[in-house]
Amino acid sequence: MISENLLSIKNLKTHFTVGESVVKAVDGVSFNLEAGKTFAIVGESGSGKSITALSIMGLLPNNLAQTERGEILFDNKNLIDLEENEMRKIRGNRISMIFQEPMTSLNPVYDLSFQISETIILHQKKSKEQARKIAIEMLDLVGIPEPQKRIDSYPHELSGGMRQRAMIAMALSCNPKILIADEPTTALDVTIQAQIIDLMQELQKKLGMSIIFITHDLGVVSEISDHVMVMYLGNVMEIAETSELFNNPLHSYTKSLIDIAPQISDEKREIKVLRGEIPSPTNPPSGCVFRTRCPNPGIGCKGGDIEMGLIEAKPGHWVDRCCYECNQT
Amino acid sequence: MIRVENIKKYFPIKDGFFNNKSGDVKAVENVSFEIPEGEILGLVGESGSGKSTLGRAIIRLIEPTQGNIFYKNKNITKLSDSEMRKLRKDFQIIFQDPYASLDPRKKIYDIISQGLKVHEKMDKNSINQKVEEIIQDVGLQKEHLNRYPHEFSGGQRQRIGIARALVLNPKFIIADEPVSALDVTIQAQILNLILELKKKYSLTILFISHDLSVINQIADRVMVMYLGHIVEVANTSNLFSNPQHPYTRSLIETAPQIFRKNKKKTLLKGDIPSPINPPSGCVFRTRCPNPGIDCKGGNIEMGLIEVEPGHWVDQCCANCN
Repeated sequence: MISENLLSIKNLKTHFTVGESVVKAVDGVSFNLEAGKTFAIVGESGSGKSITALSIMGLLPNNLAQTERGEILFDNKNLIDLEENEMRKIRGNRISMIFQEPMTSLNPVYDLSFQISETIILHQKKSKEQARKIAIEMLDLVGIPEPQKRIDSYPHELSGGMRQRAMIAMALSCNPKILIADEPTTALDVTIQAQIIDLMQELQKKLGMSIIFITHDLGVVSEISDHVMVMYLGNVMEIAETSELFNNPLHSYTKSLIDIAPQISDEKREIKVLRGEIPSPTNPPSGCVFRTRCPNPGIGCKGGDIEMGLIEAKPGHWVDRCCYECNQT
Repeated sequence: MIRVENIKKYFPIKDGFFNNKSGDVKAVENVSFEIPEGEILGLVGESGSGKSTLGRAIIRLIEPTQGNIFYKNKNITKLSDSEMRKLRKDFQIIFQDPYASLDPRKKIYDIISQGLKVHEKMDKNSINQKVEEIIQDVGLQKEHLNRYPHEFSGGQRQRIGIARALVLNPKFIIADEPVSALDVTIQAQILNLILELKKKYSLTILFISHDLSVINQIADRVMVMYLGHIVEVANTSNLFSNPQHPYTRSLIETAPQIFRKNKKKTLLKGDIPSPINPPSGCVFRTRCPNPGIDCKGGNIEMGLIEVEPGHWVDQCCANCN
């Protein structure tokens, strides 16, 4: 079991100190990423999805964020303990990342040739000419027409979809084991989104990397992922295989998300609503973090003795203990 | 309530030292439609299709290049600014980005009451009363009136934007992507609020969105727009159960869905072309999954024909199919 897991995260906690208060952005996240599979992290803004990803990449500033406890196991190493120069060998090489807004994550003053070659020269010790050749091959791989010509383009000369393709080319240029994609299609039109999702699935088949796919859109999750983790206020609510999660959700939050998700149907449906908003992570509710929005909170959920934590309700289907017990009775 | 005839909006491109006109951005091309009283008409399309330009041209926030707009059977295209100003309170917009559309230096009370101060000759007490009433209608409290926009979450700001639009008792609302910037749980709350208020204030709404599933939930009738042209119009259930245009079909098939009935997905290739230099013939032919040989010709004219009662499709594609 353990050997299949490429990346194993145990009880990851990332807290920020803001003035006097502590923001528990990620508060005890555990999951396993299997080789060649896609793992989706889903949740609202402020649920801690992106911070989880940035913690894995070691991209958070040390002076603000404390990744206090927990383990990020990759290749028999705990990434939390690595020195910056060791981490640099992994980042962009074995684990790489693409972001939501390709316009702000590409450097506007350099052409694609420079930006894609940079990682190849650094990690693979290639010459400039060889790196450029590889960069052109990468652009071709991600379906950019006329890569020979496009390699000298600047980001502003490309459309949103093309920029995201270029980002993917850059991320995959060192043939990473893991690609972390943080809302890669959110800023795109639906027709372009469909193209990019299609491309990522095709590349995964070809190159065999694992993907951590972060999104707020359950529809996208159902298209792309093998496993799903639902996050709320820095905590994990539920983890399961994708079809299991959608057909048999156990957590009230997951159930609400599925009920609310806009569905195209021939007849008019009533719009279902989950009340309230996600609370501030500086001052999370005592007891179960979801209780302030729960459609039917139990009396026990409020108590200070409630601890958030997952239990395995069925093989491979994990759910937060408090809610599971609540729904059982 | 609103009737639009052959409306066009071209933005000139100016170049060089003498600002010579070197071309046009053809944002809206020959669009005609009607919105009956009490209807929610959905307008869907990708970025760059001309949705927002059309919305703004209808209420003359930008002047249409050509065409006529009728409001309650009165042609408002040629009205002078002062005559138009009197009508303005009947038309309101709800914007996409609740962060950018509220003045950060004004209190919520001032933001909401400004329209009343401009348009209605009301004394202070009745203004207060009206503002307090409207803030409760959108699900906030009186206490919120003394705060500034930065103290609110995205969903609350959108509620404030809605309150500002409704305070003048408008007849016609343009909702320009009102839920696109919001989380899905908040999105559902705002959509429900819009439906509730539509009943209470008997509104007619043009609902602009790029998201077909949102349009599916809220609209009575839907127009699909592509590169400045309307390519399909039908009532909501007809459009989704029996889409005729290949663009509409592809939009429906590629919209991410949790429980998808139809697994078939027709991907459109490429990007939407530039409206400065649209394709000759049928504007959709560069991305069409199976374009006919005729679609390229210069003698193709874009225009809708009725394929079943109330269901209109662009004639080129209707013939092709």
